[in-house]
Amino acid sequence: MTGTGPDVTDLGDARRRVEELVCGLPGAGEQPFDQPWELRAFALAVAAYHEGHYEWSEFQRSLIESIRHWESGSGGESWSYYEHWLRALESVLSSKGLLSDNEIDEETRTVLAVPRNANHHEAHREPVAVAAARTS
Amino acid sequence: MAATDTSLRTEAEITARVKALEALLIEKGVMTTAAVDRMAEIYENEVGPQLGAKVVARAWTDPEFKARLLDDASAACAEMGIGGLQGEEMVVLENTEKVHNIIVCTLCSCYPWPVLGLPPNWYKMPQYRSRIVRDPRGVLAQDFGFVIPDDVEIRVWDSSSELRYWVMPRRPEGTDGMTAEQLEPLVTRNSMIGVGPAAAPAA
Repeated sequence: MTGTGPDVTDLGDARRRVEELVCGLPGAGEQPFDQPWELRAFALAVAAYHEGHYEWSEFQRSLIESIRHWESGSGGESWSYYEHWLRALESVLSSKGLLSDNEIDEETRTVLAVPRNANHHEAHREPVAVAAARTS
Repeated sequence: MAATDTSLRTEAEITARVKALEALLIEKGVMTTAAVDRMAEIYENEVGPQLGAKVVARAWTDPEFKARLLDDASAACAEMGIGGLQGEEMVVLENTEKVHNIIVCTLCSCYPWPVLGLPPNWYKMPQYRSRIVRDPRGVLAQDFGFVIPDDVEIRVWDSSSELRYWVMPRRPEGTDGMTAEQLEPLVTRNSMIGVGPAAAPAA
């Protein structure tokens, strides 16, 4: 939860639907994802594949390459499987000409420049959520 | 923020980066909400170790199906309508009194999604990936509390993007006469990875 109320855009809706995956996945307590962004990165890669933007083997090669690179490093870098996943996704998308690193960098800066509590100092004069009365 | 140097990212930065990626993909029409929804639907409701359990329980009770499963797992699963991404080339390994099988992916955590769902976090950890190969008996005992008798051989199989293994655990004692449907709940995810036994039937 962001604490800023539900995101009612299509994107927000998609995100919620994807996040529901976590609850439906097997083995509560031993979940495949630690953080919501990991699930989103997973969902994006599979959805882009299903949309026909790349072969799954291309994504896998990219993932293997990223992990190999990490393993051959001097150590000290912490392990995050889904960081490799994300890097593989970015790499395969940019190799297909669908996105560029610069675009992602720029959009990331934009997202970071708008903090979650950007309007926290403003007065909120309406309720942020209303649950309708139940009549029956 | 170089794309190749993820180690310097904070959690906030990486969260923002994924958010940015998602927004760009949807904005450019590379991806639609419906596509993400469909994918979510599949992995939320349809895929998971319950499908692998169904296959194993059938193999335990149907020798002809078992023979087909061990011969060509992808084809046998397809008979039951089970298949899909990361299930294209699957091999099922049968545990016996003398041989115990374990799966791992030493590179990228390949895993048979259509029958086991998505891998748990520990399966993707470098520690599991390297230790289970070096000392399978020790890791099973220490990390999973699963002691394999000394006279049983342990084989560790490395999945790759070309070929994914999974394990048919031994049918538990005291289950004679049980139907495939009754056996399904005894087949756990860990037993199909090879890091645990199938569950014992309720007394």
